[in-house]
Amino acid sequence: MSEFLLDVREIGISFGGLKACQQLTLQVPARGLHGLIGPNGAGKTTAFNLITGVYQTQTGSVSLDGVHVHHLAPHQIAKAGMSRTFQNIRLFGDLSVLDNVRLACHLRGTHTLIGTLFRTPMFVAQERAIRERALKMLDVFDLADLADEQARSLPYGNQRRLEICRALATEPKVLLLDEPAAGMNPSEKVALAATIRQIRDRFNLAILLIEHDMGLVMDICEHITVLDHGTPIAAGAPREVQNNPKVQEAYLGEPGAVL
Amino acid sequence: MSALTDLIPAHRPSLAQSLFAGVVVPSLCAIGVGTLMQFGVGPVLGDYWTSVGVQVGIAVMLAVSLNIVNGFTGQFSIGHAGFFAIGAYIGAGVSYYGALLIWNDASAMAHGAPLVWNNSKSWLFGAGEWLMIGGAILGACVAAAFGYIVGLPSLRLRGDYLAIVTLGFGEIVRVLLQQTRPQVFDGAELREMSAGELVIPPLGGATGFSSIPKYANLWWVWLFVAVVVFFAYRVKVSSTGRALLSIREDEIAARAMGVNITKYKVRAFVLAAALAGIAGALYAHSGNVLQPRDAGFQRSFDCIIFVVLGGLGSISGAALAAVALSIMTEALRGPEPILENWIALLILTAVISIVAAILRAVGNRGWRITLLMAVTPLSILLLGLASKFFTDATGINLADYRMVVYALLLIVVMLVRPNGLFGLTEIWEYFGPERAKKPPTTPPTASQAAAAAPTEGSRP
Ligand SMILES: Nc1ncnc2c1ncn2[C@@H]1O[C@H](COP(=O)(O)OP(=O)(O)OP(=O)(O)O)[C@@H](O)[C@H]1O
Ligand SMILES: [Mg+2]
Repeated sequence: MSEFLLDVREIGISFGGLKACQQLTLQVPARGLHGLIGPNGAGKTTAFNLITGVYQTQTGSVSLDGVHVHHLAPHQIAKAGMSRTFQNIRLFGDLSVLDNVRLACHLRGTHTLIGTLFRTPMFVAQERAIRERALKMLDVFDLADLADEQARSLPYGNQRRLEICRALATEPKVLLLDEPAAGMNPSEKVALAATIRQIRDRFNLAILLIEHDMGLVMDICEHITVLDHGTPIAAGAPREVQNNPKVQEAYLGEPGAVL
Repeated sequence: MSALTDLIPAHRPSLAQSLFAGVVVPSLCAIGVGTLMQFGVGPVLGDYWTSVGVQVGIAVMLAVSLNIVNGFTGQFSIGHAGFFAIGAYIGAGVSYYGALLIWNDASAMAHGAPLVWNNSKSWLFGAGEWLMIGGAILGACVAAAFGYIVGLPSLRLRGDYLAIVTLGFGEIVRVLLQQTRPQVFDGAELREMSAGELVIPPLGGATGFSSIPKYANLWWVWLFVAVVVFFAYRVKVSSTGRALLSIREDEIAARAMGVNITKYKVRAFVLAAALAGIAGALYAHSGNVLQPRDAGFQRSFDCIIFVVLGGLGSISGAALAAVALSIMTEALRGPEPILENWIALLILTAVISIVAAILRAVGNRGWRITLLMAVTPLSILLLGLASKFFTDATGINLADYRMVVYALLLIVVMLVRPNGLFGLTEIWEYFGPERAKKPPTTPPTASQAAAAAPTEGSRP
């Protein structure tokens, strides 16, 4: 068993001839806060899709808490303790804010048709517990007042927060955030950085973060992996990565440029 | 924060509590609905509209059951009538041949002691009606099994495959029913038939299955309508229902949140098939001759219209559409039956209008919908009159062109409200005190929207 909670080794996929992600290795220890960066189209989201099982990796392995998960379906990986948000927010727009979070509590229970149709004691207890937990989760994110609103009617920032809240409701061990700060203004970004740290401490998670905002990434991540054209080109502490000529070249087209 | 499983024990109700709330109360409600329809509504309606009321109830069951697949789960099934017909033929087979074997007489009304259906004046049931219930349960089970067999392979595939497979399924059922043996009318003959002969069951083939005892009165049908609605509603507001809705909203997100989408799609399909089977079994006992074409596309299409028109995901919306369209179809046949009942119609309109006025006075948002309901019977009457003038003037019977009217309605609704008249919302959710206007929420700014927009289509 590895000492890392999330242990990704040499995963990769190509779409036709396009090598969207190749030979990606990254390891996140328990309570680690790691970053995955790279220019547009570098393959970051593809890496997330490989790790969470949306795409099947063609090489290598992914293990979560010592268990191989790369051959599992996404819902099984979620159950094993991996949760994520999406770059293009994917809430259940027609459902209420509360229902979005209640749905995420779903995978920690057992749901039978008979129980549902006849409302057995077990079913009732579980539904009540789900409601209680969902409301508590919403409270953590200051969304409890909006519980009955339709998810799609929320303002943008709240939608992002709701998505994180929903991801956490699945009781994950590892949380993957795909550009959570996209479209936020500087003060919102500062608040988000604080939130991410708090989440990590409060829920005892490992977090892997994709982000374009260098300030944010350098600020909160302990370790950073850089992707370019589908391949990892650097990895290490924020300072090292920042000073790496290959990274500077990938971002700005010339070595020595200041990030 | 404590895990979900740790929270569960504290919330557990006692068995008595959950039996009461989960089984006793809804059963009493269902019996109440049946009783009200049979003794309250039936006598006012008169014989003709009573038989329409039975068909309307069956249409409501079909609409509500199909809504579980097409509405909640967002899968497009167009073979619902296949399951309906399976339930119908099995229900008919059990009751008809059961009566033939037990009493040597299939016109088992005689055996439905102590009181059987006669002009909606009596309702207690006898042995024959128990056969109907048994047949309905068996029909539901078999339909559910077929739902599983059809659903499991096709629901793994992309959406459009389901439409094709279900369409094919309905046609297969129809053709197979055409190939069944002629109906047997004599108990002795039936007993002499060998097992080999019964491999192809004597369900009447293309001629149809007739002489099925007519037990399905308003009481039975509307009791089951209530049961079906209860079931659908319970699914909708449960974890299972949220899982189904999440599939309809966004499959990729649903899977990422741990929803086994194949399992839930199949579950929705099986439940919908079972409920359609019950509707079928009751239909078989409503005095119609069963025909293979009951499994055909025409009936499936009727169900789809109810759901799409009423609201994809709204149980009450689909039910209302089923009621309105079924009555509208009758009205197109001419206004005479409606005019016969004009006093009832006026009373109904007056009562609903008064309710709307009261709701408005107390500041309840539901008054608009109530008013709409008050206007509906009158507009149906007008439709009937208009249809009569049209027929008199041109000799064209509009009832034959029902599908054209439906299709036009469908196009209009699809353009104006793509999710149906009520969308996901249940009609009763429109009721409740008038809420203070909230400040408008700020929609995402252009730059935020651009940042959030997926670079390529709907990729995760
Ligand atoms: N399903 C797919 N089929 C074909 N090509 C794909 C698919 N998914 C991603 N790609 C391609 O793979 C490359 C990497 O895409 P990816 O979305 O992972 O980039 P990214 O690093 O997340 O970029 P951004 O910062 O813009 O979000 C792109 O060229 C993209 O067009
Ligand atoms: Mg991306």
